[in-house]
Amino acid sequence: MSTAEQAYLNTRVSAMSTRLLAPGQVEPLLDLSLGELAARFGLAPPPEERRPLRTRSRAVEQALVSVLLEDLRILIRPIRGAERRLLLAWGRKFALLNLKTLIRGKLASLDAAEIRSNLFELPSHAHLAEEALDRAEGVLELLRLLERGPHASIARQARELYERRREPFALEAAIDQRYYSVLLREAMRLRDANQADLRRLIGSLLDQVALLWLLRFRCSFGLSPSEAFYFLVPSPHLLHRDRLLALAELEGLESVLAALPEPLGPLLAGSENLLQVQQRLNQYSLDVARSSLALSQSAVARALAYLLLRENDLFLLFSLMQGQLLGLPRDLIAVAVEQPLAVGAAAIAR
Amino acid sequence: MPASGSSMQQTTTASVAQSILIWLARLLLRAATRVGQLLREHLWPWLRTRMWPWLQQTAWTLWRAGRTGSGRLYRWAWRRESWDWARLHALPMRHVRLLVMTDDLSQAALTLAETGRFHPDPRPPVEAMAAGIPGSDYRARYQQARGRLEKIARLVPVESTPPLATLRVVQYEELVAVDAQLGQCWAEVSQFEEQFRHLDEGMRVLRDQQAALENFANLDIDLGALRNKTRFLDFYVGMVPRENVSRIEGALRLAGYLLFEFLHRGDSSHVVIVGPRAPKAGQIEAVLRSASFQALPIPAGRDDADPAQQQQDLARRLVDLEQERAAAAAALEDWAATHGPALLAARRTLLLAEPLVTLDPSIRSAGPLAMLSGWVPAGACADLEQRLDAALGQPFAMQTRDPLPAERPLVPTVAVRNRYLEPFGLLVRQYGIPGYGEVDPTPLFALTFLIMFGAMFGDLGQGAVIAGVAWGLRRRFPHVYRFGILAGIASMLFGLLYGSLFGYEEVLPALWRSPIHHPILMLQLALGFGVLFLVSASLLAIYNRVLVGNYAGALFDHHGLVSLAFYGAMLRGGLNLAAGAGFGLWPLLLVLGTLLLLAITAWRHLQAPLGERLLVVCIETLETIIGYISNTLSFLRVAAFSLNHAALSMAVLTLANMMGSAGHVLTVILGNLFVLVLEGGIVMIQVMRLEYYEGFSRYFSGEGHAFAPLRLQRGRLATAGN
Repeated sequence: MSTAEQAYLNTRVSAMSTRLLAPGQVEPLLDLSLGELAARFGLAPPPEERRPLRTRSRAVEQALVSVLLEDLRILIRPIRGAERRLLLAWGRKFALLNLKTLIRGKLASLDAAEIRSNLFELPSHAHLAEEALDRAEGVLELLRLLERGPHASIARQARELYERRREPFALEAAIDQRYYSVLLREAMRLRDANQADLRRLIGSLLDQVALLWLLRFRCSFGLSPSEAFYFLVPSPHLLHRDRLLALAELEGLESVLAALPEPLGPLLAGSENLLQVQQRLNQYSLDVARSSLALSQSAVARALAYLLLRENDLFLLFSLMQGQLLGLPRDLIAVAVEQPLAVGAAAIAR
Repeated sequence: MPASGSSMQQTTTASVAQSILIWLARLLLRAATRVGQLLREHLWPWLRTRMWPWLQQTAWTLWRAGRTGSGRLYRWAWRRESWDWARLHALPMRHVRLLVMTDDLSQAALTLAETGRFHPDPRPPVEAMAAGIPGSDYRARYQQARGRLEKIARLVPVESTPPLATLRVVQYEELVAVDAQLGQCWAEVSQFEEQFRHLDEGMRVLRDQQAALENFANLDIDLGALRNKTRFLDFYVGMVPRENVSRIEGALRLAGYLLFEFLHRGDSSHVVIVGPRAPKAGQIEAVLRSASFQALPIPAGRDDADPAQQQQDLARRLVDLEQERAAAAAALEDWAATHGPALLAARRTLLLAEPLVTLDPSIRSAGPLAMLSGWVPAGACADLEQRLDAALGQPFAMQTRDPLPAERPLVPTVAVRNRYLEPFGLLVRQYGIPGYGEVDPTPLFALTFLIMFGAMFGDLGQGAVIAGVAWGLRRRFPHVYRFGILAGIASMLFGLLYGSLFGYEEVLPALWRSPIHHPILMLQLALGFGVLFLVSASLLAIYNRVLVGNYAGALFDHHGLVSLAFYGAMLRGGLNLAAGAGFGLWPLLLVLGTLLLLAITAWRHLQAPLGERLLVVCIETLETIIGYISNTLSFLRVAAFSLNHAALSMAVLTLANMMGSAGHVLTVILGNLFVLVLEGGIVMIQVMRLEYYEGFSRYFSGEGHAFAPLRLQRGRLATAGN
């Protein structure tokens, strides 16, 4: 990345980061109506009230995703090469959500229109080959298309899922695992000064994902250490491969938390359940992102940090708007927006 | 000794062969020299004394014949379309708005597509009444049917653009029926595809097993022990995707198992997994399943089975699968023969339905009325109206008007249609498409390109080779071979002027002068050409701006009238200096005055703090001065490369003269090849650079978009007797 590109991207990120919500700006949003919220954040007006709740909720979600991907488009515009690939790799999460929806829908023999209504409309820089998959008429054709296309590595799981009538867990875990592996690989390809800052930022993200998955697989799903480890993505920061091997062998939440290195150990000490762990980890990741945005010398790291924080803001906005669509009381919505990423992570993990 | 005798015999044979080669080379050289002499003594005087006057006489006769109005040439020359190739503007276009009854919409679309002159305009109408967009069901059904047919066509050949004997409207009900039929066909073809996949997967596994077996054969271990699980140990032998190996290895280690890779094949790794038997076998199998593990059969071992026998068994199974696949392919062919006519009919129906679907975004409706609009070449409007009149059963209204000034960026540009200019048009389109009203640079580009290429690479022989190679490749590159022929001819013409034949400067007398002997003259001419080129480019830039009403831009912008005046004054001053008479008062005043005007313009356009404004204006003004000087000097490369060409040829000939006869011929051939490939490529790049950077960047925006009319995709009908 040339110095001029670095300077341009830095300026862009600084200009765009003024849109991020400061802590004091969240409270007043609770008193705004749906239309006012949409106008305030430059979203398309929410659908009319006579439309079904699901359609309205979906429209809000789509509008928020579009905003985030538009930010991504602006950020990748001046950059080329490995830096561009890294940011694009981050943005592919929505394409993978579409892929999961498609596979799940086709395997369940849902109507094509029904499946399509659950897909995000993605711009060209963020979509994969899901259009071709969408045209598949039947599961076997879908599986053949998967085997021929860029998702060949997950095709075998998909076929096994279909032929042996298994739960979709392994397939979806493989998709998520692949997403984070590609993200990590793209980050590790960057040499020079970018790598240290990016390693820390992506590392914090992967630490969070790896620990949550580990706890969920071991404590909630009851998987064996071997199975749990297989689905994890080692982080380049704290929870690297050997540490994950050691943690996977431990039984119970307390013993895992007690074996965590600093700063995760003290941060998560005393957590009683997965929700608390998730909330604290979210906060930890956001702090790392804020610090990267404010202090990093790497324009790409700052751009990625901005995107993570912006995503968090938009999830918060989604919680607010969803709460209003459901007609929930203000107090309940206020509790939900305290932990936007918890909602967001849940949405991603659907 | 016998060995020594044989060696002597070989040496004698080699020396005889060498002598024959040298004799042959000398003969060739002598013949070439003689031909050169003959050309110089007989053909050249004939050309100069007989042919040239004949050409002059013929031209004069033709001209007189034309003047009296009796010559075909004269009539041809006066026909407007004869000079279409040289037109500098896009064809004039008109905006057409068509109001038809909704029932006639399909027929209207078909007729418009048949004319191939209607470029749809997808803008929404101004009228609020025409807000509806009809035909979304039609489009959806068409797209589904088309998608199915394309999927079928991947396995079964279906002609993509069959001839359409009759043009007819495809109703929605017919489209639904075709879609259903194609759905049924695809369901059947899909089964074939699945069968092929199953067989291919089976063959892949068998090949992997063969490779593994071959690998096992090299191991000095008892394979039987691997195959039979022991009381205490579990063994798994199989393949996993290579990218999963590290994670599997970690996961297995947690269960006390070890993983060894013993073969890499494609994206797969062949592995042996070993660990304590039970109670964690369930976990291991779950991990292996998630990791896409595929078990390989373990040979029984050397003691109790024959590996060769197993290889034969695998080979036999592979042959069985291949036969099964061939049978499936034959069955598919039978299916294609049975369903081919129906698929072709479906293709024809979809081709006929396509125009309406393509037009869909441009159609608006209000009740029984539908409206569509587009751009049509002005000369084709009357014909279009007549055809619609003949085709539509119900009344319709067609309104046409000239494009509004604000619509200029939306009007499509009709590309140059001349077979000799077509390849040059391709190169122009690499830069951009001329905007509507903008000067189309293709003819000018072709002319200047050929002049510069010929001047930089002038050689009769090498030009003939370029033209000959292009002619030889005409079938492989039908759209660009003429470019090679014209470039070769330009090179040949300049070769005649320079008197250069395959680098030889003495064989052919120069019609004009040889560059290597008149370098200063060449440089002067190149500069003169550059000045002419830059002035023409600036005039075109001014003309383009005046055309779109940008009068201020035509005066004050980059390469506007003021800049041109500045350039003229600089040139005058430069010529004065060269003549030793000083820069001159008027040129100096004009230079300062125009620079001041340019600086004021830049100042007014810039919105920045005072310091930044001053800095930017100073730098921009300085850049104008430097730019014009450096751009003019840039054309020195035309002369430099003509000198370079001659110098390179001299170097080749000097090397050749140091060799014997055979070496001489070989060096001349290889040297000419080297010059053709390397220098020819470099000259091409340099000319393109001059054209794009010094020419196009001044006057050509390239922001237009191509005329893409609605067309009926269909093949040619076979004529009687074919």
